Amino acid sequence: MKLGIVGKGGVGKTTLSALICQHYAAQGKRVLAVDTDSNPNLALSLGLSPAEADAVPVLPRALVVGTGNGAISPAQLLADYGVPTPSEVTLLNAMAVTQAGAG
Amino acid sequence: MRSLLGAAIEEEADLTLVDMEAGLEHLSRSGGTLAYADVLLMVMEPSRKSILTAQRTLHLADELGIPKSYGVGNKARLPEDAEFFRTVAAEYGVPLAGIVPHDAEVVEADRSNHVLGPGQALAVRKVVAEIASVVDATVAAGNGADAEREALLREREKVDARLAQLQQAD
Repeated sequence: MKLGIVGKGGVGKTTLSALICQHYAAQGKRVLAVDTDSNPNLALSLGLSPAEADAVPVLPRALVVGTGNGAISPAQLLADYGVPTPSEVTLLNAMAVTQAGAG
Repeated sequence: MRSLLGAAIEEEADLTLVDMEAGLEHLSRSGGTLAYADVLLMVMEPSRKSILTAQRTLHLADELGIPKSYGVGNKARLPEDAEFFRTVAAEYGVPLAGIVPHDAEVVEADRSNHVLGPGQALAVRKVVAEIASVVDATVAAGNGADAEREALLREREKVDARLAQLQQAD
């Protein structure tokens, strides 16, 4: 299932996102957290250090909304761009996918 | 591969949570790959503007084809805050999945950049579990409706095929 979390900056959205991820992970579920923010705050809430957060690779927009040229399988996408976190949650940085003017 | 982050990724994860920092309106740029969600949670503060924003988001989510959206009241310090969430959310037609209390441990974890441990923010975690139950029940109900629709369509095919056979026999 797919869950979207929205809300203005400062409402505590990222903290809640991390807690929801942790809740499902604690039940043994495979959890994928997708951050679309240009500041990778979700990474910090999931337990990565600021340096580790900065090192999370950005998912290229072309891979997600491209024409299929160079498309990869979801498993390969996670292997290439997914980052494990201390919260037992896999993190994906999809910032470029929603960036203004990126495509 | 338009839906690489949509349906396809669900083979690899039981839950895909998208932290939509950009705001829902920006997500149409992703070609719907990120906007497509089974359930949308709209996090709110105890302010009228915040709940009004959730109401607008609710309509936008409807247009994007997201089946169900809920408001989540956050940072409720006082019983009055919880009451405010209930009253004003009802006034604006925003269904509530839960009201999360203000928690000093959450604030402290954020300030010191520590991840919240399993024994921390227990009152918050309790509400998070309640919200997860609401989400699970919503998705299960949606899947139930889908399964019934598919079963009915299969039945209709059978009926149509049989009716065609009988017509040929006449």
